Amino acid sequence: MDNLETRLVKLALKGDQRAFAEIVDLYKDRIFHLAYRMLSNRHEAEDVVQETFLRVYRNLDRYDPGQKFSTWIYRIGTNLSIDRLRKRKPTYSLDAEIGDQDGADGYALIPGDNRTPETEYMISETRTTIHEAIDGLPPKYKTVMILRYLQELSLQEISDVLDMPVTTIKTRVHRGREFLRKKLESQQH
Amino acid sequence: MECKQAVLLMHDYLDEDLPLEQEAQLKSHLDTCPECRAAFRRLEETEMMLFAANRKSESLSVSEDMTDRIMSFLPQPKKHSPAWSWIRRHPALTAAAAFILIMVGTSIGFWNADTQLVLKGNDLNRVQVEGNTVTVPEGTIIGGDLTVERGELRIYGDVEGNVTVIDGTSYQASTAHVAGQVKDINQALDWVWYKLGNIVSEVAYK
Repeated sequence: MDNLETRLVKLALKGDQRAFAEIVDLYKDRIFHLAYRMLSNRHEAEDVVQETFLRVYRNLDRYDPGQKFSTWIYRIGTNLSIDRLRKRKPTYSLDAEIGDQDGADGYALIPGDNRTPETEYMISETRTTIHEAIDGLPPKYKTVMILRYLQELSLQEISDVLDMPVTTIKTRVHRGREFLRKKLESQQH
Repeated sequence: MECKQAVLLMHDYLDEDLPLEQEAQLKSHLDTCPECRAAFRRLEETEMMLFAANRKSESLSVSEDMTDRIMSFLPQPKKHSPAWSWIRRHPALTAAAAFILIMVGTSIGFWNADTQLVLKGNDLNRVQVEGNTVTVPEGTIIGGDLTVERGELRIYGDVEGNVTVIDGTSYQASTAHVAGQVKDINQALDWVWYKLGNIVSEVAYK
């Protein structure tokens, strides 16, 4: 029952800083992706990563080993991201989008494995459509879609992270999927 | 099966949450309904693209110095005493313990509340009181119970009821005669029992 995270938490609670650094290494990228997809802003996403680990550290003694560590840390990271989304002024998100266009969102710049420039372009176009569509969703749908398709959590895990019934999560995934289907169809035509 | 229901089943199927039996029903519907077949294919494609589009973004990574930055931000390790973490883990027990502590505290507080002599009983005009000493003189008959709190009781005469001494001392001379029981209560716990007994007997007599 004692998995890696639980052991690291125990060591960190005893004051072992290296054990906590290992927890950070295990989860920093996942939390960063989550926050980045939620906020579409690299700087804010990194802030969320820092805040998340600070909270994890402060509340380490409250972590219940009966719960998956990932569920716990995702909950903290998700809530911090949602808080930021809600506090945002509408103009701010517009600025962020424009400011991020070239540098931070580097998906299009990453060379493909064995792809020709044409297929690479098509794939990145589809990807952009999907990212933009998810980005435009209201926070409650956005969160579920990101946890499902980016973090690849199961419906049950999402329901644990968000503390909502599985049926609610299901409905949101279904609606989100339908919405994306329509977006992709309109792109193809 | 209606197409509307088929769409619901398609989503459940993509969630990997469709029982085999219903999966068979969905399949047989798709075999007969080209529209649903097309809709299902599009949904399946969407699902694959959603996963694919997001998976590739794993190559996006957080600043390399993030771990160091976080570690330098951390406050000094909190030194929680074991007692404190125990309290945080067992709020109900803590509340119960606090309750008992307060209860015991107040009863003991009560017990020590004052040092004044208290005298209860019938025919009190027949006893003599000097400072903290209560005397039942020889030849006197007290026609009922006598209770002395925080005092010294000296009996030379007759008491027809019970004698109770709380937190004090009693002395019976050879001439003394007590018809009822003589009770000496000197400890807080006994005192509590005595009080409880009083409440019970009061209730019983009413």
